[in-house]
Order: sequence, then structure tokens, then C-alpha cells
Amino acid sequence: MRYVLRKVVLFVLTLWAAITLNFILPRLMPGSPVDAALGKLASAGVPITNAERNAIEIQLGVPHSGLLTQYLEYLRNIATLRFGTSYSFPSQTVAQTIGKALPWTLILIGATTIVAFIIGTLLGVYAGWHRGRAADSSITIGATFFGAFPPFWLGLLLLYLLAFRYGWFPIKGGFSPGASPNLSLSFLADALRHSVLPALTLVITTMSGWVFGMRNNMINTLGEDFVTFAEANGLRDRTVALRYAARNALLPNVTAFGLSLGAVVGGAVLVEGVFSYPGVGGLLFIAVTNHDFPLMQALLLVFTLSMLVAIFIVDLLYVRLDPRVRT
Amino acid sequence: MTIITAMPPPESPGKAAQIPSGAGLQAVPGPLRFLGRALRTLWSNGKARAGLIVLGLIIVVAVFAPLLAPHSPTATSFTPYSGPTGVNWFGTTGNGQDVFSQLVYGARVSLVVGLGAGAVATFVAVTLGLIAGYRPGIVDEVLGFVTNLALVVPALPLMIILAAYLQGRSVWTIVLVVAFTSWATGARVIRSQTSTLRTREFVTSAVFSGERLVRVVFREILPNMTSLVAASFFSAATAAVLAEASLEFLGLGNPDTVSWGTILYYAQQQNALLTGQWLMVFAPGLAIVLLMVSLTLINFGVDALSNPRLREK
Amino acid sequence: MRRPPKMKSAAAAAAIVALLAAGASACASSSGSGTTASTGGTLTIQGDAGTPTLTENFNPLQPATELHGTYLIYEPLEIPSPVNGSYTPFLATGYQFTNPTTLVYTIRQGVKWSDGTPFTPADVVFTFNLLKKNPGLDGNGVWSQISGVSASGNDVTIRFKAPNVPFAGIIAQTPIVPQHVWSKIADPVKFTNTHPVGTGPFVLSKFAPTQYTLAKNKLYWNASKIAPSTVVFPAEASNQSTNQLAVSSGQFDWSYTFLPDVKKTYVDRDPAHNQYWFPPGGTIGLYLNLTKAPFTSVDFRRGLSLALNRTAIAQKAVNGYMAQASLSGLILPNLSKWLDPSLPDQGQVSQSKPAALAAFAKAGYTMRGGNLTSSNGTKASLTIVLPNSFSDWVAAATEVKNELTADGITVTLDLPQYAQYSQEIQAGTFDAAIGGFGGTGSPYTDFNNALNSTYAAPINTPTANNFERFKSPAVNQALATLASSTSTATQQQATDKLELMMYNTVPIVLLYYGGSWGLFSTKHFTGWPSASDPYTLPTNYNNALLTVVTHLRKA
Repeated sequence: MRYVLRKVVLFVLTLWAAITLNFILPRLMPGSPVDAALGKLASAGVPITNAERNAIEIQLGVPHSGLLTQYLEYLRNIATLRFGTSYSFPSQTVAQTIGKALPWTLILIGATTIVAFIIGTLLGVYAGWHRGRAADSSITIGATFFGAFPPFWLGLLLLYLLAFRYGWFPIKGGFSPGASPNLSLSFLADALRHSVLPALTLVITTMSGWVFGMRNNMINTLGEDFVTFAEANGLRDRTVALRYAARNALLPNVTAFGLSLGAVVGGAVLVEGVFSYPGVGGLLFIAVTNHDFPLMQALLLVFTLSMLVAIFIVDLLYVRLDPRVRT
Repeated sequence: MTIITAMPPPESPGKAAQIPSGAGLQAVPGPLRFLGRALRTLWSNGKARAGLIVLGLIIVVAVFAPLLAPHSPTATSFTPYSGPTGVNWFGTTGNGQDVFSQLVYGARVSLVVGLGAGAVATFVAVTLGLIAGYRPGIVDEVLGFVTNLALVVPALPLMIILAAYLQGRSVWTIVLVVAFTSWATGARVIRSQTSTLRTREFVTSAVFSGERLVRVVFREILPNMTSLVAASFFSAATAAVLAEASLEFLGLGNPDTVSWGTILYYAQQQNALLTGQWLMVFAPGLAIVLLMVSLTLINFGVDALSNPRLREK
Repeated sequence: MRRPPKMKSAAAAAAIVALLAAGASACASSSGSGTTASTGGTLTIQGDAGTPTLTENFNPLQPATELHGTYLIYEPLEIPSPVNGSYTPFLATGYQFTNPTTLVYTIRQGVKWSDGTPFTPADVVFTFNLLKKNPGLDGNGVWSQISGVSASGNDVTIRFKAPNVPFAGIIAQTPIVPQHVWSKIADPVKFTNTHPVGTGPFVLSKFAPTQYTLAKNKLYWNASKIAPSTVVFPAEASNQSTNQLAVSSGQFDWSYTFLPDVKKTYVDRDPAHNQYWFPPGGTIGLYLNLTKAPFTSVDFRRGLSLALNRTAIAQKAVNGYMAQASLSGLILPNLSKWLDPSLPDQGQVSQSKPAALAAFAKAGYTMRGGNLTSSNGTKASLTIVLPNSFSDWVAAATEVKNELTADGITVTLDLPQYAQYSQEIQAGTFDAAIGGFGGTGSPYTDFNNALNSTYAAPINTPTANNFERFKSPAVNQALATLASSTSTATQQQATDKLELMMYNTVPIVLLYYGGSWGLFSTKHFTGWPSASDPYTLPTNYNNALLTVVTHLRKA
């Protein structure tokens, strides 16, 4: 119980620190949202004038209050889940903007992480079991290689070859232009077709971690006494591999599952950018370039919170899985 | 998480932490002899050997870039948007620069950022990890808190904001940004290993024999974690190479430097794929992949060093 | 990837060609070509930035956030062409300066709003008063120049605070909104106008997150001349190179984007239909901080100007699509009728090392040990700041750096994000900066924005105009003359004076013209602007949209 209580206190403290950091970081950036908005006009070739500047300042309603006031208001808003109005999407609240983007990312990341985890773990089991043989070497080398692919680079290559050159997949977006998101079969099929390339990119680049983790755990577990014992008792190879070794080797990989989320988010920012996918990764980049503090804060908070919750759950799971830490 | 692809640390060093190295427990050899032996052990591992060879080649290319590159990487004197020719082996950029020469010189930035950020991150990780592991109680709690915080804030978004904030974008800015966001995993691993070692007999006996704290930590504890330190160095370096490329690709680096990341940035800006200059996209990406692969392969050897079970038969 | 902004294009959004305002001129040709062609068909226009989904906003008074289709839903009084200066009348049929501070528009009759309510001069007066009440909508600073608006009969009279004849161009382009709808809007600054009621040729028919569709307005006063029956605006990707792939694969009738090697990447993909027109739309220049030595010295600035090979810079920056800039400050050939014939070579300056060194010597800088050094031993150096995402500027700055380094000047490039760049140039804390000059289509507005001393704020007080902080009583004098004159001869004289000042004192080292990247397909519609029929710039994100769409014929 003390262990759990400690974890809860730590969780709350970390949450507060992360929230505060989220407040400070965007404000350290030079230039104001007005400057960023002017940049958008300038890149479209609009001559920048003082009159234009004044009008945009009024339109954006950039706060002139002190940092402390802004901080207190920020805390109050978080408590009530109101993040204000974003500068980049003035016609909707930040919560609406993120709400629209979040499902896309959740589904993309969720599906790819699960697929990568399953394929990677199976390959890892196989490699670990056949350690030192050709299968092991080719799996390890292959995973090393694919794992080193920068996701944006692989995305670019797939985009060019499969979407532009051969036209098998759409070039951009999460669904066809003109469609409105709904749950009809035709829309889902359309969305699926649009998600193939980003998902493929993420699966290929994230799989290797699971392969290595599982392979090493397998090898470690295979050295343990109970496995040797099972082998000595004449159990079939496959039974030993799956029933005894793999099951025990899986535990560390499950805990790594929670921690890997942050990394997946990082990869998704880039991949969503390459494929113009309508998720939160692309949104973050827009927020950063537009100096959109309300949106940036809310997004970092979403990322951080999901990481925190994942780690917290893993910590608690650990109590169940490994009784030794309860003391 | 230090790595911005979704790659958990290539080998899960935490695992190694639970199996203290058998080799290091005897009398501590001199640092040079130790390094030599470590290299020999690495060399005996097939994967690590391949990694060392590739890394060596990249270092040679970086060091002798002026001799190997046929042209200046910044000279804009060639026909822009040209495909591969006898003069420009990999074609030219939209500004009329020679892609092959840029590729050769680009090795320097990727190496400096990778190894530099890896070293800085490892230094921070080792320092904090040792202190936290050796000083349980409030110090450990505070450091653990900071480490967890650093693990929780997603690295790439943090890097994007930091890179946008820091002025005077140079290679060193990127080194610092990447190091700042990638020390936490290593610190966690080293902390847990230190706290395991702290209660070992050879450490307690050293403490009882009146040795100074610094000496105990650096002479008794640290040498037993060489492989862990090396592992966190190589994984931080791998992450740094990718992070540098990503930041440059996003245009958050300094587009005025020549690196593999900036070649990709310009390839994207000038839409090299559309103009059919696929080499301009393919080659720098492949170079990044090779460098990361070499570092990861070496890390396999390092793991085997610390974990006899992972050694090749 | 966010969004690497569009390659800097510099065509004016609110393009204004006003100088020809002299007296009543504008009862010119009506829109369209006159022949009644068959109509119908869908026009697909690329360019609305989805990020990656569209934000529904059809408020015509918010040019920063409105969707481009808004330009086809609302109409201004008249639109001056940014190229040849001729006015295309829309809600006005003509205008006249009764004196230099009184401007009278004759309002078109028989026009209806798309909900059936008749359009009246009262709507025009309402719109201008709306800008007065809501400075957040007055992005062109209309009320900084005018003092009142009134209607009588079919006329609307605008009164100026001080003579400003060229400003008629901006007045004319103000989109007019219906009083019966907008008078009920509580906060028009935040109003996103999702059910727009306008007088324009199209009405909103369907909005989806990644694409919206406009349908022909049956009540439009000139409906028989409008060829397309629907206009579709798909959202642009947030990733520029993806957009280029989409453009190249032929998904649009009208795109606006820089494409490398355009013949191969666009024209050759459908040679029978794909065509491009890249006229100059603005000027890119090296701005020097005129409050800092050695940039205070005219000779030093002239030295820098002579040291540069502008053809090479244009080649690197914009693929050689654009020519080097005339130092007169005029965009040529668009504004060539204003060019002072006494300027040698149309104001173009070519690189000359000996001449550059001579100018530097006059400024007190000589070559010592490979460095350009002043008499007291200071080495010449400058840091050029520019936004890192404008790739053509980066390429130009890199070339400038290479060339100046060869002349012994130490050049550093500082490449922050746009917001920081904007902050630095406006505060005046920079050495040198790459920036856009002109592109409004009006020599007066171009020169006034860049050179008027009243904008030259002290260092650390932000100003978006004249951020190089140029001060010259003679220039102010010439600008004032230009503003108050309705005589073409006087206007020409004053413009000549400004061109000479620009050429001789080099307040800005102009480099090359920024392009206007029009890509057209004649598969469904013809009548696009082109080099042989340059009736407007090919910009599909400002009111050139209305001009072009009213010119189209079914193919």
C-alpha cells in the first residue's frame, strides 16, 4: 500500500511539474503569435504594413496580462478542461481542435503499435530460440537495419513510389477530399486506404525495438534453470519455447510498452507531417510555427498526460506482476 | 524515452543491469588495458565487428572529406537540378551544389552531433545515476523525480520547441538540445545498477577500509559499469543522429550547414523526388541508416560484454 | 514539416494599382470577354491551406484567415489589375475625385444579395462604418486615411483626411457586406460567417473538412458571363512537397505553387493542356539597418550593391524563372510605363568589382590582408537575418554570402523561424535582412511603405513599414506630392524623383523579382491570364480570383 501511495504522490508531483513546464516552454520562444501570423501573410506575398499588424493583434486577442496571471488562468483552465481559443483555428476552441485530431492519431498509433508489438515479439521469440543460427542473424540484422530508418525518410520514399509513381495509395490526408468523417462503411474503407502508408511507415520503423527486447529476454530466460529443467525432462521444443521461455520473457517487454508511447508520438509527429495526416502530430507542428500557445500547451499536456498515465499504470501493474516491489 | 523513433533502447539495458558483469569484478585493470580488452572483446563479436568497420569507414570519410570530395560542398557553380553525371556523381541540388560532396562533408556533422550529444548525455546520465544510486533517501528521490520528469515529457516535441527557441542555431545547439532530451534513460539504468553495487561486499569493504567517497565511486563502482556506460553512450548517440536529421529535416536546424539532415531538408524543399533526383533523397537517408546501424551493432557487442548469455557461441 | 510556407512569392494580396486614378477613368470594359460561350462544368482550384483540415471562415474582412472562396462570394467596388492598372468594375460602375480629398463612386444598380434582398449604396456606407467601429477588421488602415463616408442617390462619397489619391485603389477593393445581415452580428471581428450572403458570382453550397464547393449564384448581376457552374476548393496539405506532387499529378485547373523545373514537372505531364505563367510579383532585397555604421554610408551601400551578381542570385533563388531587379524600385515589365527613361539600363546594375572597391574606398574601406577594412582597422562584417523556411531567400542569401566573402567581407547568416525574424526586423536590432519590397502594384504604396520617414520608429519600437529606418525629407516631399496629385504629369515627375533616390542612395539593395507562380490547365476552361493577355496576376488567394473566374470560358 505504501508503494502505491508513494507512486500516487509522485504521479501528482510529476503531473504538476510537467504542466508547469508546458506553460513555460512555449513562452520561451522568441517572436509573438502576431509575428507568426504576419509570417503566413508574408509567405503568401502580402506586403506587411503597420495597419495589418494592428488588425491581426486585435483579431488574435493576444494577452497583455502578466505571466503570473496567465499562469493562474492556465491552471484554472486545465482544471476545467478549457484551453481557450487557438490562434491558428480561431473559430473553434482548442479542445474541439484537438478532439477532432486525437482519434486519428490514437487509432494510427494504437493500431501500429499493436501490430509492431505482435510481429516484433514473435520475430524476437523466433530469433532468440534459434539463437546463433542463420534465422537469428538475418532477423537481427534486418531489424537493426529497418529500425534505423528515419521515419520521415521511409515515409517520403513510400509516398513517392507507392502513391505518386504507381498511384496505389492517396498522396495525402486521412480521407478523400469532400468526405465528412462518419461511421459509414464506405468512409471507413476510404480512411483505411489513406492510413496504409503512414501505418506501414510506423510499423516498419518501430518493430525493431520489440524484436531486440524479446530476443534478449528470450536468451536470458533460456539460460534460467526452469527452462533447462523443462528441456531435460524431454518437453517438445515448441512447448518449451512458447509455454515456458517466451511467457516469462514477455514481462519486461510489456512494461516497455508503456514507456514506448512517447517515442511513438515523436515518430508520429514526423510521419503525420509527411502524409498530411489529420492527427495531433501535424497539429503540434502547426502550433509551433504559428506560436499558438494555447494549442501548444494543450497538445504537450495531452502527450505528457498519456505518457504519465501509461507509466503510472505500468508501475501499478508491476506490483501485480512482481510481488517483490510491494514492500 | 530518448529515441525519437519508436525504438525502445536497442537492447533494454535494464536487463543487463540485473546481471552484473562477471568479468569486471576482479582487480581493476588499468584504464588503457581495460579499453584494449574491451575493444578486443567487441571485435570478437561478429556484429560489433561489422559495426566497428562501418563506423570506422564513416569516420575516415569525415576526417578526409576534403580529399575525398571532388568539389566544395557549398560551391553553387553547377547546373541546378541535374541528375547524376560524370562531374556530379549524385547530381546537384536546386542551388547548383554537388550532392556527392555534400554527402561526404555531411558525415562530419552527423558524427559530431551523434558522438558529441552521446557523450554529453552519457556524462549527465552517469553523474546523476551514480549520485542517485549511491545516496539513497532525499537525494535519490529528487534526482529520480527529475529523471522521471525528463522521461515523461515527449522528446521530439520538446526538441522542436527548444530548437525553435535557442538562438544562433549551430551544430552545438543541436548537440545540447539532443543531449538535454536524451540522458534520462541512461541515468535510470545506471542508478539502479549503482544501488545494486553499493551493497556488494567489495564496495562495503572499501568503504570500511576508509576510502574516500569519490574514490569508492570512481574506482570501485564505475569500472563495474563500463558496459552500461558504453551502452547508454551508443544508444544516446544513435538517438542523436536521428534527432539531428529530424530537426534539420523540419527546418529547425541551420540550413546553412552541410549535413545529411540538411540535404534531406533541401531535397524536400526543392522536391527532388518530383524532379526525379531520387539519389538526393535516397543517399543521405541511407547514410543516416548506415551510421545508426553501425552504432547499434556495436551496442550488441557491448551487451554481450556485460551479459555473457548474449555472447555469440 | 509543417508548413514550409509557400515559396516567397510577393504578389500582392490586396493588389493596388491606383496611380492612374486621375479623374474619372474607370468605366472601362466589363468583365468577361463578351462572347457568350456555353457554360457549365467544375473548376478545381488548389491553394486553400488545410492544416490539414479546413477551418470554416468566410468573413471577407479577415484576409488572414478567410477561405479563398470568399473572394468569389463577395465583391468589392472595383478591382485594379496589379499588372496593367486597368480597373474592372464590380459593385461600382465608375468613380471620380471631385477634389483631391473627395472621392465619389457611382454604385451599380439592379444587384441583389444572394438571399434576394436588393443591394444598395447604404450597404457600402455600412461596410466602411463597420471598419471604423472594428479596427480589427481594418487591416488596410482605411480609417487612417479617410474621415467619413456618405451616400446620396446612387453615389457614395468618401472624404479623405488629407489628399491621398493612390489610396483609392485600397478603398475600391474593400469587400462589401450586407447591412441586413451584418448589423445583427455581435462581434464581427470573431465572426466566421459560415452562411455567407454576398453579391458575388458564387454561393457556398457544401462545406466538408477537406474540401468546399461553391455553386453559381443564380441572382448574379452578370450571371450569363460566368462559365463554371461549380468551383471546388480542396484543402492543401500542410506539407509543401506533397502539394507539389498533387499539382504535378494534374488534380487542379488552377494551382499556385513554385515548381522546380516546371517544364518537366508540370507542362510535360499533359502538354496539350498544362501551361504556366510566372510573372514578377514583388522584389526581394537586402535590407540594411540604416542606423548602424557602416550602412549609414551611401558609398558603402553602393559598394555592396556593385559587388553582387544579381543574375547568379536570381538563378540560385528562383531557378532562373525571374530576372534581376531594377534598382529603380519598380517591378518590370509590369510598371515599365512609370520608369524614368534617364536611368541607365532600366535601372539594372551589373556586378563590377573595381567599381565596388572604389565605392568602398570612398566609404573609407580598403582591402588589407584579404579583409575589407576601415581606416581605423575595423573589418567589414554583417549578419544577414532571414526566415529559415523561405527557401528561395535562403538560397539567395547563401549566394550573397559567397559573393561578399569573395570581396573580403565577413558574412554570417542568421536563420530563425519567421516570428523571430519578424521581431528582429521590426525592432530594428538587425544588421542586414532579406525582405520583400513592393508588390502592391502601386509605385506610391510601394515607396511609401518602404521609405516614408514617419514609419521610421526608434530602435526597439516595432514598425512593420520602413523597418530599415530610412529618413529623407526629399523622399517625404516627393511622396506627399504623389499622394495629392491627380495629374499624370505631376505623378510621373514625383515617381521619377523617387526612382532616382532609390537608384542613387540605395536605401535597400534590391536583388531579384519574386515570382507569381501560376499553373493552369486548359482542359476544362480557357481564358487564363498569360504573358500575351496579362489582365491580372495568377494569384489564386486574393481578389485576382474574382477577376480570373469572371474571365474564364468553357473549353
